[in-house]
Amino acid sequence: MSDDRIEVRGLTKTYEGGDPLRPALDGIDLEIPRRHFVSLIGPSGCGKSTLLRVIAGLEGHDSGDVTVFGSTPKHMCEAKAVGLVPQTPALLPWLNVRRNVSLPSRVNRRAGRGSEDPDQLLRMVGLDDAARKYPHELSGGMKQRVAIARAFGLRPDLLLMDEPFSALDEFTREALQLQLLNMWEHMSTTVVFVTHSVREAVTLSDRIVVMSARPGRVHEVLPVDLPRPRDRDVVSGPHMHALEDRVRASLQSAWEAGAAPDDLVPL
Amino acid sequence: MATSTPARPRPGHEAHPHRRAPRRRRLGLGIGLWLPTAVAVVLFGFAWSAIAEDQPYLLPPLAEVGAVLVEDPALFLDNAWSTLSIALSGVACGAGTAFVLSLLMSEIPLLRRAIMPMAVVLNVTPVVALAPALVVAFGFGMTPKVIVTAIITFFPVLINVTTGLRSVSVPVLHVFSTLHASRMEVLFRLRIPSSLPYTLAALRVVFPLSIVGAVVAEFVAAGSSSGLGTMIRNSAATARLEYVYAAVACLAAMGVLMLALITVLERRLLFWHESQQRPTS
Repeated sequence: MSDDRIEVRGLTKTYEGGDPLRPALDGIDLEIPRRHFVSLIGPSGCGKSTLLRVIAGLEGHDSGDVTVFGSTPKHMCEAKAVGLVPQTPALLPWLNVRRNVSLPSRVNRRAGRGSEDPDQLLRMVGLDDAARKYPHELSGGMKQRVAIARAFGLRPDLLLMDEPFSALDEFTREALQLQLLNMWEHMSTTVVFVTHSVREAVTLSDRIVVMSARPGRVHEVLPVDLPRPRDRDVVSGPHMHALEDRVRASLQSAWEAGAAPDDLVPL
Repeated sequence: MATSTPARPRPGHEAHPHRRAPRRRRLGLGIGLWLPTAVAVVLFGFAWSAIAEDQPYLLPPLAEVGAVLVEDPALFLDNAWSTLSIALSGVACGAGTAFVLSLLMSEIPLLRRAIMPMAVVLNVTPVVALAPALVVAFGFGMTPKVIVTAIITFFPVLINVTTGLRSVSVPVLHVFSTLHASRMEVLFRLRIPSSLPYTLAALRVVFPLSIVGAVVAEFVAAGSSSGLGTMIRNSAATARLEYVYAAVACLAAMGVLMLALITVLERRLLFWHESQQRPTS
């Protein structure tokens, strides 16, 4: 057990009513060093979101160990050391943008975690003009920026993001990726990022965890040795494309390693 | 606490460009919206008058109904107030109890299983049948009438608030979980505000229903001395139809006022909810 990394050892989880021979997560071993940006990628059903929720302490598991910086996921949440950005922005529609961003500081005060100034956070995501607006007045990209600002608000030790940009158009998505990297470099937190976009994983990560489905396993862990900061030049360079091809090849072999999904029509 | 947040007046909101455009458009549409209603009302009036002239025992002439109202407005106001106070007290008791019970049931599943079946039985019991017994038990004062109204308004609120408290989006719950929010924090910051649209929808049903409850209770409590229901019963017994319909008109006006009040409340409290958003072209 080490306090400078997230350690997942032999993690196995079968959903109630699921096939016990094909667990959602099957013997997952994973190490994520502090301040690293790690992406989980894989075909649907590979358990990447489930793994994220187990690390977040939102779901239990059958066997194995999960320690987050020497602590349990539950204790991390008690200390308000975990930030979560779900797939949908999950804002409270009756609160304006500023109060949504400052929500974490008003909940579970006992943890006594100081938080960033909400106006400062909104400036970082470029939404200082929208502080008094309500979620229904914002576009999808703006809402997701609010959710990111909210998650960064407590300066969490661990930031968990579950396909946060999957519902956005490509242009907005790329802009938000660079904005996220910028914030991450300022705040230097550990990020676990679930995605199904190869390009997104390569753009953002230090390491990419490729997973295979049925059962959910870690297929391969690929390092991303692109220089930081990752500006537009780095992201459009030839090395980037080589890495993308490498991840795609790995995903292909992960796909072949797992059993075909039941709902796929046989050829 | 959390419920009070949306009610805050929002300065600067008026200046929002998206808000102003539809308002102007609504004014433009005004005639188109009101004209069909106005025409229908006038036609209805003519039909009424035609019948009233032919068969005065079927419907009283509208002029007589109006005259009765104008002659002694205090009579109608007093009786209306009597009925209204029963209706409102009934709603306060019935809806209030239902709201508190919903909160308790959402937190304690055991209580839910204990109360829900009884509430369903209470709902299918015809309250009109219960009313005479209540009069025997509580006399001719306000108490039995308030109880009847409370029973009628109880169930819709109970069902709606219970549903509303459970209609919380899972991702938001996950965010609250990672913050290790307490049950009370989830209840007050998340569940109660989420249930507001359901609560107000229930009030929209229950307020007019409360008038029905009050009138029925007045019908049954033979010795009651005031109220529009009493007035209708006594006037009908002596075939003074103009008084009956004047009282009915008062009841209708009370119902409309209540609905208007709920609409205003919805606009204020639910400005964030889908139901209050107008489609932007």
